[in-house]
Amino acid sequence: MSTTRYAATAVTVLALAGTGFSAGDLRKELHFRVGKHPTISINNPYGPVRVRAGVVHQVEVVATLHSDKVELDQSQSRNRISLVSHLLPGADAATGMVEFEVLIPPEANLTLHSDSGPLHAEKLRGDVVMEGSNAPIEVIDFGEGHVHVHTLNGTVKLTNVHNGHVEVVSMYGDVVLNAVSGPVVTVNSNSGRIEYDGDFGNEGEYDFTSHTGTIEAVAPAYASIDVLARSTQGRVESDFSLEPKHTPFISRSGSAFAGTLGKAASSVRLFSFSGKIHLKKRQD
Amino acid sequence: MKCVEFESVLPDYLEGSHSAEQQAHVRSCPACSSLLDDLKLISAQAKLLLASDDPSPAVWNALEGKLRREGLIRRPESPRPGFLLRWRTAWLVPVAAGLLIAAGLKLRHPMNAGDTQPPARPAPAAVAKPMSSEDQQLLTSVGSHVPAQRARYRANLDDANSFIRDAEQSARDYPNDIYTQQMLMSAYEQKQMLYDLAVERTAPEMGEQ
Repeated sequence: MSTTRYAATAVTVLALAGTGFSAGDLRKELHFRVGKHPTISINNPYGPVRVRAGVVHQVEVVATLHSDKVELDQSQSRNRISLVSHLLPGADAATGMVEFEVLIPPEANLTLHSDSGPLHAEKLRGDVVMEGSNAPIEVIDFGEGHVHVHTLNGTVKLTNVHNGHVEVVSMYGDVVLNAVSGPVVTVNSNSGRIEYDGDFGNEGEYDFTSHTGTIEAVAPAYASIDVLARSTQGRVESDFSLEPKHTPFISRSGSAFAGTLGKAASSVRLFSFSGKIHLKKRQD
Repeated sequence: MKCVEFESVLPDYLEGSHSAEQQAHVRSCPACSSLLDDLKLISAQAKLLLASDDPSPAVWNALEGKLRREGLIRRPESPRPGFLLRWRTAWLVPVAAGLLIAAGLKLRHPMNAGDTQPPARPAPAAVAKPMSSEDQQLLTSVGSHVPAQRARYRANLDDANSFIRDAEQSARDYPNDIYTQQMLMSAYEQKQMLYDLAVERTAPEMGEQ
């Protein structure tokens, strides 16, 4: 697409004010025309953001503002779209709330920020960055791209995520991974619980680290993994009969185990300082 | 050249790759010049400590890669207020020092051949230690922008610092264990995230006019 045409499409933004859901609500619908791999950034301090795959070249946004204490700032620069819920003086978590429903091209790159959330992304294939202090974060049916999640207290749930680089850093929120696989899957938690239920596929590197939280990983009997698990002060358990292997550290019984299953295609590292670690065999 | 641009090429600069533009920036910018001096000092001190056993390039590459990956040396995606950038840069020094010291500990205190038991280690401190000046500055900034969040960030920082202390202790106890080094990296990554989120939380567009 030519620069001129880009410039023309960049200004082709239709903002339609609709009817509100209640007396204080203001509903806004925004439509943007974009290229195949746009970058969409949404910063919404208070309120949910739900993003799903739509059609290529189209970004459609429905934003519901809950009071006149918040405004919606929007900008488009070629293939980059930014939406910011702009809190006005006196705004709080209630009056500053904005609800977003967004459809974006499946291969778009997405960045979401929110204090309260929740944040939700579904059926995307681009790179996704989601950050929130307390926001519950959920990613469903995701493939190929990178998923980076940073949260303090919000729970993180990733379901059916494949072939991507997954990186989660959390302080207190639980992190739940269901059917997640990829070349790199890392979870770093302070005290939140880390739960994994999948096959550790993709010949990937799976690194789960926690300070005080529990790590529980469920894998099928056919899993092909090279496992190293250790808790400095907590207990470790494995339901599997692992093929023993040399460990590069001093191993005390009950605090660490290492071994392989199958052809050891993927690397699995489970480390906690004082949390419990349990590698479970899936009961089919 | 802007400071953020210089920060993005800092690792190359430290390795001796200088352009005229970069050198001109260092000469004209006291903040970057000071940062450069600090990092050179840390690097020199770490190497002196290890004079008899120089770390392999892999150690330095790993540290640099970690700093890059954690975003400690990168160009911010969006412009931020100058004081926040300086504050963030200031925090880079103790983080870098911590990582270098961790690497130094690994090589300074190799476990003797035949050792089978780790040294006795006291239980983790139950009481949080006083906060660093950088942490205090973070809390002050958060408190001034979002007062209700200050207590939560204080708790977050206490827990991140507790993880760092435990990981540092493990690194001292098991100096040859690469996984304790990785745990220390993870602990610092959590603190880095706290700082990132706090900076974003206190950026002007969030509730300021």
